[in-house]
Amino acid sequence: MENKANGTRSPQPYPSTSSSAKDRVQSRLDPYGFERSEDFDYESYEELMSEYLVVLTRRSIKWSKLLQGGSQVEKNLKVKRYVRKGVPNEHRALIWMLASGAQEQLEKNPGYYHKLLESEHDDKLVDTIRTDLHRTFPDNIQFRKTSDPCLQKTLFNVLVAYGHHNKAVGYCQGMNFISGYLIIITKDEEKSFWLLDALLGRILPDYYNQAMLGLKTDQEVLGELVRIKVPAVWQTMTEHNVMWTLVVSRWFICLFIDVLPVETVLRIWDCLFYEGSKIIFRVALTLIKHNQAQILQARTFPDICDRFKDVTKGGFVEDCHTFMQKIFTEPGSLSMATITKLRETCRAQIVAQES
Amino acid sequence: MSRKKTVKGKSSTSSPTTASTNSQGEGKAGKSSTGSEVQSNGVVHPSRPSLSNSSEFYDIAFKVMLVGDSGVGKTCLLVRFKDGAFLAGSFISTVGIDFRNKVLNIDGMKVKLQIWDTAGQERFRSVTHAYYRDAHALLLLYDVTNKTSFDNIQAWLTEIHEYAQQNVVLMLLGNKADATQERVVKREEGERLAKEFGVPFMETSAKSSLNVELAFTAVAKELKHRSMKEPNEPKFKLQDYVNKEMKSTGCCRS
Repeated sequence: MENKANGTRSPQPYPSTSSSAKDRVQSRLDPYGFERSEDFDYESYEELMSEYLVVLTRRSIKWSKLLQGGSQVEKNLKVKRYVRKGVPNEHRALIWMLASGAQEQLEKNPGYYHKLLESEHDDKLVDTIRTDLHRTFPDNIQFRKTSDPCLQKTLFNVLVAYGHHNKAVGYCQGMNFISGYLIIITKDEEKSFWLLDALLGRILPDYYNQAMLGLKTDQEVLGELVRIKVPAVWQTMTEHNVMWTLVVSRWFICLFIDVLPVETVLRIWDCLFYEGSKIIFRVALTLIKHNQAQILQARTFPDICDRFKDVTKGGFVEDCHTFMQKIFTEPGSLSMATITKLRETCRAQIVAQES
Repeated sequence: MSRKKTVKGKSSTSSPTTASTNSQGEGKAGKSSTGSEVQSNGVVHPSRPSLSNSSEFYDIAFKVMLVGDSGVGKTCLLVRFKDGAFLAGSFISTVGIDFRNKVLNIDGMKVKLQIWDTAGQERFRSVTHAYYRDAHALLLLYDVTNKTSFDNIQAWLTEIHEYAQQNVVLMLLGNKADATQERVVKREEGERLAKEFGVPFMETSAKSSLNVELAFTAVAKELKHRSMKEPNEPKFKLQDYVNKEMKSTGCCRS
């Protein structure tokens, strides 16, 4: 996936022996260390990659030029366009750090992360995290107990540090997968910690704390957006009494990890770090709207659930570049004002129901 | 939540509460019903055999939920039952909620179980307990190598009593029974707790497949019996059936 056409050797997330694009395309492992499934379609992937590598090359050159002026990511239309077109892997960690404010926090708080690690640990928190260590990306060679270095240890550190840093959240399942991706991309546990802090503390609403109110709210907000933008699907969901949480909770909690293909998730996260949580709704709405005909064919409750799994598979989501263009056109306009307003009303409803 | 908004304007046939009450009645399966699809409540009373999405015919369907602390082996138990495989080190922690179907042949009848797998972590309960009320059976798991998961059973039972249907079929399972070295909860302790709460109990192992099939079959039998029972037919005794069929892990029982 890394682009080498600009002459720089891009960092490999795992010891790589292969060099040619073709070798990498045909590998049993993807560029991030994930094992490809038995039924992985190498032929169509190769076809896709031959086009995508050209895009990556072009983007990489543009990004290198943009970053020549120094390490800062301004909020302007040009950079926004660049981010939407994809951040090349060699710049990804840096762009995420700069765009999210994680870099600023890291520089403002030297030694803070290590202090957290050295502090006395909450046993209960540590136990909860341990339960999930071997259940986080067992299909990634870097997370195997036998691999050296083993990212399970890195993951443990990031999660324990974060649990002590943000006691209201502590550890919530889903954070293991998110931190895992951050570690894979940054290859640096302190940076991963600050990116996790940016996501949970600033970019996302309160998805992961005890009450999970932000999560419940956003699931309902999505429901309302579907009601407006894809009314037929909303109608079907309503007729069959399918709660949104059932079909989309993983989308929100895991930020599409293990829901969509790795490369597609990373492209979504490029925008998530730069533009904020609105992007999650764009992705969800695109998946639903694009596949509405299939969803509407569902005749039963379990059938609907199955179709919501199907919409996250196939060529449409694997072609990440086209998919990322679609998310900005297919759902139509989506203003932050609308989302803020919906969040307010949905949250108030949930609070009223729960009390 | 979306469900609350939608129930009002709906006909009573597909409202989960009403349909669930139907399932508690007797001899309903003989009656024809308007639809043969699985409702969200899980029960079907088809006038003709139904075709589930896995293209398998079935006569009657129920919703079963797996609950218990994080890491006790709910997903592994389900995968062992559904696919006959053990996910040694290749599974990921369950986030949110998911389900799988399996059709069982119970005394000549095709019984479809829609089995719901839930995230075990405490904070997810406020998201998942909304599903309890539609469940016909709950398999409550603890891990015999994890004392905390056993100590939490009482809290789970409280939660279940609060949110599940009153007559929900409930069974307590001590999982990972194959792990003799790491075991910290004795089988007798599980039996005692189950007795105290009047819940059928057995030990299982998703790894060795011990009693996995039996746990689901027993629940399916009980559910089928409840919904098909003739008025004068004797009650199906779940614990007796389980005791008769159960394979023991220890050396002291044969």
